Amino acid sequence: MNRFTEGLESHLARQGMSRREFLKFSALMAAALALPKRYATQIAESLAAVKRPPVIWLEFQDCAGCSESFLRASRPTAAEVVLDVLSVDYHETIMAASGNLAEEAKKQTIDAGGHLVIVEGSIPTAEDGIYCCIGGRTAVDILNEAVSSAAAVIAVGSCAAFGGIPKAAPNPTGAVSTLDLVKDKPVLNLPGCPYNVVNLTATVVHFLTFGELPAMDQLNRPLFAYGARIHDNCERRGHFDAGEFALQWGDEGHRKGWCLYRLGCKGPVAFHNCPSVRWNDGANWPVGSGHGCIGCSEPDFWEMGLYNVADIQKFGAPSTFAPVVGPVQTIAPPTAALIGGLTGLAIGAAGTAAYMQLSKKDHPDESGGNNSEEKK
Amino acid sequence: MAKIAIDPITRIEGHLRIEVQVDGGAVTDAWSSSTMFRGIELILKGRDPREAWALTQRI
Ligand code: SF4
Repeated sequence: MNRFTEGLESHLARQGMSRREFLKFSALMAAALALPKRYATQIAESLAAVKRPPVIWLEFQDCAGCSESFLRASRPTAAEVVLDVLSVDYHETIMAASGNLAEEAKKQTIDAGGHLVIVEGSIPTAEDGIYCCIGGRTAVDILNEAVSSAAAVIAVGSCAAFGGIPKAAPNPTGAVSTLDLVKDKPVLNLPGCPYNVVNLTATVVHFLTFGELPAMDQLNRPLFAYGARIHDNCERRGHFDAGEFALQWGDEGHRKGWCLYRLGCKGPVAFHNCPSVRWNDGANWPVGSGHGCIGCSEPDFWEMGLYNVADIQKFGAPSTFAPVVGPVQTIAPPTAALIGGLTGLAIGAAGTAAYMQLSKKDHPDESGGNNSEEKK
Repeated sequence: MAKIAIDPITRIEGHLRIEVQVDGGAVTDAWSSSTMFRGIELILKGRDPREAWALTQRI
């Protein structure tokens, strides 16, 4: 085994990856992580020297869809990189060993410590955890043992991150998320049904380059991948703002590629980088193919109702807008005229923010008392 | 007479345990168990039928 002795670049070179491709990959990862270009060099330098981290991939209450996502990585070199960057010592679906030999490989990695644990699938806790047993032991037991000496834990897919399908009402098996059980190790969530392998690769590259997990939101999701609302980067957004909606499958609006909000799209309440990273080698994504986003990167999305219209009462300005400074003001008449119904509210909120900025410039005197503060 | 249990069976989708009884070099009996349960049928009950495809395709 060369996993503790060989640097990553030489390992990849042996696998047939040229230096040029390696640098290209480093630049791609800097972009995926939303880092300035200059970080590509630092990433390349760190990756060249770094040892391949051992990985234990645990499957519990899963459908192996996330494993499929992992194996079918087809972005330029991502497949080789994910498989070669990581030394996957245990993965039920892909490993050669079975039975005792498989369990032995896992034990060796746990004994050595410092590994990454990747969790796929939720963990059942009802009836003492009998609803998922491997090698005669419960999922809870296996998870606790695997993380005990781990450096970090990555929960891939919505089931491992938030409970997913097994936790959907009435949660017959008492399924819980990784974070519900792992309290004393850093846990990063990559929800999505399935998660996107580009985001796993970028997370691992960040971990190897900077020695820590990337910055996360309050749901432990990395900001580089879950920092923006789907709706804000959707190619149909112009139609939403113009009030052009598909109302029935196959109607004129649907055929013309109008906004899918009225058909249940959860883009306005879901955070994920699907619109930019996309799926299947960047070929397309659900909204691009004519079905609304189902909000699979959000906790308990199965309870939102696949075809219910998303609740956007609290929907504000796009997260990509600069913050609106100054006190909250009531909606000005020209914008209020746009409002009609629920969707109008959303347009109103976004429109108001922009309008406020513009109107301040145009009519400085109309802001009343606020101006005196600004003049100080 | 010996009983051999292989668990997990790898390179398959899902969790499987196989137990075989071996008698004088020949397998005389075998048992297979699927060792994971989510209750998808129970989760489907009472839901909007239009959601069924999304849940069942994830079995
Ligand atoms: S509601 Fe859905 S389809 Fe419409 S703009 Fe937002 S994300 Fe795109």
